[in-house]
Amino acid sequence: MSKEQKSHGSGKADSSPPDLRKERDQFLQTFSKGAKLTEEFIKDYEQMQRRMGELEAENTRLRASLSADTAMRDLMDKIDRLEHEKRELLSRYREAQAVSTQFSARAEEVESEFANLANLFVASNQLHSSMSPRGVTRRIKEVLAQLVGAERYCMYLVNADGSELVPIASEGIAGDKLITLRVDNSRVGEVLRTGIAYVDEEGDPSRGTLEQPSAVVPLSVDEKVVGVIAIFATLAQKRKFFTIDFELFKLLGQHAAAALVAASLFAQAERKLPGLEAFLDLSV
Amino acid sequence: MAEYSCLIVEDSPMMRQLLVFALARVKNLRVTEADDGVDGLRKLASARYDIIVTDINMPIMDGLKLVKRVRSDPVHKDTPIVIITTEGSQEDRQRALQLGANAYITKPIQAPQVIATVKELLKID
Repeated sequence: MSKEQKSHGSGKADSSPPDLRKERDQFLQTFSKGAKLTEEFIKDYEQMQRRMGELEAENTRLRASLSADTAMRDLMDKIDRLEHEKRELLSRYREAQAVSTQFSARAEEVESEFANLANLFVASNQLHSSMSPRGVTRRIKEVLAQLVGAERYCMYLVNADGSELVPIASEGIAGDKLITLRVDNSRVGEVLRTGIAYVDEEGDPSRGTLEQPSAVVPLSVDEKVVGVIAIFATLAQKRKFFTIDFELFKLLGQHAAAALVAASLFAQAERKLPGLEAFLDLSV
Repeated sequence: MAEYSCLIVEDSPMMRQLLVFALARVKNLRVTEADDGVDGLRKLASARYDIIVTDINMPIMDGLKLVKRVRSDPVHKDTPIVIITTEGSQEDRQRALQLGANAYITKPIQAPQVIATVKELLKID
């Protein structure tokens, strides 16, 4: 390096023309400003990058949160739908259960009705299946014992002038108690006079007595009362009369005496059937 | 579908008829009637029955003797027996159950009770 160059480089002995110096200084100033600006720009750039990173992270977080919210909303919707479905199913189940209960109750009623009808059919069938007075009497007793559950009872027929009731058939009553009864104001006499059955609906029919029978049923033939059946006591396990018993009493009242009278007439006719001429003038 | 057979042993024709009516409500149940214990044993010797329904008070051979005989019969020793009787006391019930009866129903019978008992013993729905 020359001496001149050295002194120029150190700046101590600046021998360059003043305008060049000025230009150099301006350049240096501009350069320095540019460098400063660049530095600032880099700083800003770095800051912006950091900020962008932060924003991206926040964005990701927000997106994740948003999708979680949507999933949550979907889940809540689904729960609502399922709750609604559950309520509907429960309500339908309750309806079905109510229908089923109604159906069971109805089926039970039908079965009970069927059983009652079977009882009545069997009783009626039995009453008319014999044409001997003894056979009919035995069947009346069967109905009373087996279907009604009577333990002590007596069937009375009224005498010709209607003043006395004569025992015809009985069960569970000592011989000395089987006496002809006067048609008076007793329970039996009243039923004979009015033709209306007496049935103790409140008390325990197994605890009836000879004086206070549990049931007295009038026996009719052609709408005329011709006797009564008095039930003095039922079997111990029979603690009350049921609907079927009332039906059986009605059936006995209307059929027992008629069957007995028919059998007696048939016996009197020496079991000879009437000739065809007996049926020709029926005008039906 | 399984078919079941039932033997009714009862001396009263009316009760037999009533029991036949009642048991006709049990699906696939074939019913045979016998009018006393001896007739019942005769029928048990000639066929196999899934259930026996018997009265107690019968002429010739009563229901309790029939239960005893059935329990010693190798073919029917495990066959369910339903007693139907007018005897309602606890002692009568105990005696019948001790002899080997499976159920005890007192008269007057309620058909639904007889049906339910037979179904239960035959394990029918």
